[in-house]
Amino acid sequence: MRPITDFMNSIHAQIQLDEALLVKKKDRYYLLNDKLKKLVSRDFFHAGTYLGKTKDGTFFPSFALLTQIAEGKANKVMVGDRAEWLFICGRDIFARGITEVIGSGRKGGYTLVMNKHGECLGFGRIAGNLQAKSNVVAVKNISDVGDFLRRERRRA
Amino acid sequence: MTSMSGRDFFTRRYEQLGWRFKNVEPRQAIRINSAKGEKAGTVQRLAQRGVELEKIPFLEDGYWVMASRFSVGATSEYLVGLYSIQEAAAQIPATLFEDLKDTIALDACAAPGGKTVQLADLMQNAGAIIALDVDKRRLTVLSNQLERCHVRNTIVYCRDAREASKLRVKFDRILLDVPCSGNFAIDKAWFSRRTLRDVQENARAQREILAEAAQALRDDGEIVYSTCSLEPEEDELNVDWAIRNLGLKTVSIECHGEKALSNVLDRQLDPTVENARRIWPEQTQGFFVCKLTKQGQPS
Repeated sequence: MRPITDFMNSIHAQIQLDEALLVKKKDRYYLLNDKLKKLVSRDFFHAGTYLGKTKDGTFFPSFALLTQIAEGKANKVMVGDRAEWLFICGRDIFARGITEVIGSGRKGGYTLVMNKHGECLGFGRIAGNLQAKSNVVAVKNISDVGDFLRRERRRA
Repeated sequence: MTSMSGRDFFTRRYEQLGWRFKNVEPRQAIRINSAKGEKAGTVQRLAQRGVELEKIPFLEDGYWVMASRFSVGATSEYLVGLYSIQEAAAQIPATLFEDLKDTIALDACAAPGGKTVQLADLMQNAGAIIALDVDKRRLTVLSNQLERCHVRNTIVYCRDAREASKLRVKFDRILLDVPCSGNFAIDKAWFSRRTLRDVQENARAQREILAEAAQALRDDGEIVYSTCSLEPEEDELNVDWAIRNLGLKTVSIECHGEKALSNVLDRQLDPTVENARRIWPEQTQGFFVCKLTKQGQPS
């Protein structure tokens, strides 16, 4: 649970995860519901909501966890269409692509990246002034939903 | 000796079954994940991107992709899980269950996960789905689909469908979209790859899966059996076998397709096999679907 709560704190997220429904398998974390908890056996491949994994001591949140976090209070930047497209292609976000900032914009902190429809596209590290409206990188991409496509391509 | 393979052999059989062979190109289709977003909103967003959709008349959430300047698998709407790419006929089986909400469902041959996500959507992410498949690589694809579409009610095991009863769970609903020989509409090399022997071997494995499912089904439960094979051994003949050997009966369904055959290549089957649906390739791929319950249960 610790890596997850540490990550949530780093992004100023305020959601509650029921620890009794949390399961860890190898380096991966899953959140069950009551019904799944009664049914699940140890040899599962995937169960409930995949929350993320730890690798070399670092926690990598899943998009399901990021989306859950985005439903509540957390650091967020809203981006326009062009910045959205570049971000899901794996690129960083320039300050001029940001239309709104919610929560802390402190350099070095983490923030969710949201599109104009309020959907979470991933997250990144704040690298510059979010309000600058300039061509300077404001959010360094750490993880974006384009990864679903990249995973498919890697598999092929 | 007559060859039991090749285009001539199979197309002659289709003619005997009442369908004249023609080359077809099934259209690409998507299914809106209604649990994730508002359907009209998703369609509108895709239209703004230049994706031309047309409602599929026989599906609640299905749309044909009539034109698109880019891959519909690369939009942000797809990546955040608002829709899935799913062939139109393949969208039918999951819709045939009654009252899915809060049930325990088995998706016995689940990868790559299109129907698992659809089931979760129809169950409004409540209840539980147990999804099985034997191929680890395909299970990774399934896991990615579940994550992309925010499915929360599914447990996935790397397990053969023929071991379902070892889970010691009695299921309310069982989806058997069984591994099959496929059909020429989705596999251009189908006629040169397939023989009647392959078909018979697949049919045998499908019967084993059906038998296992019958054991794992609750007395008042439902099975939906489907294949994308046009070969009667994998379709009507297997359903007939299940009626005669597994204590199952067919249930009448309302969906796209024509009544299944109760007389196959001069063999008279149980007349209720007609309750199943056979879909010859046209706008969709070839498909077969049947709903089964235990005998003695009300229809």
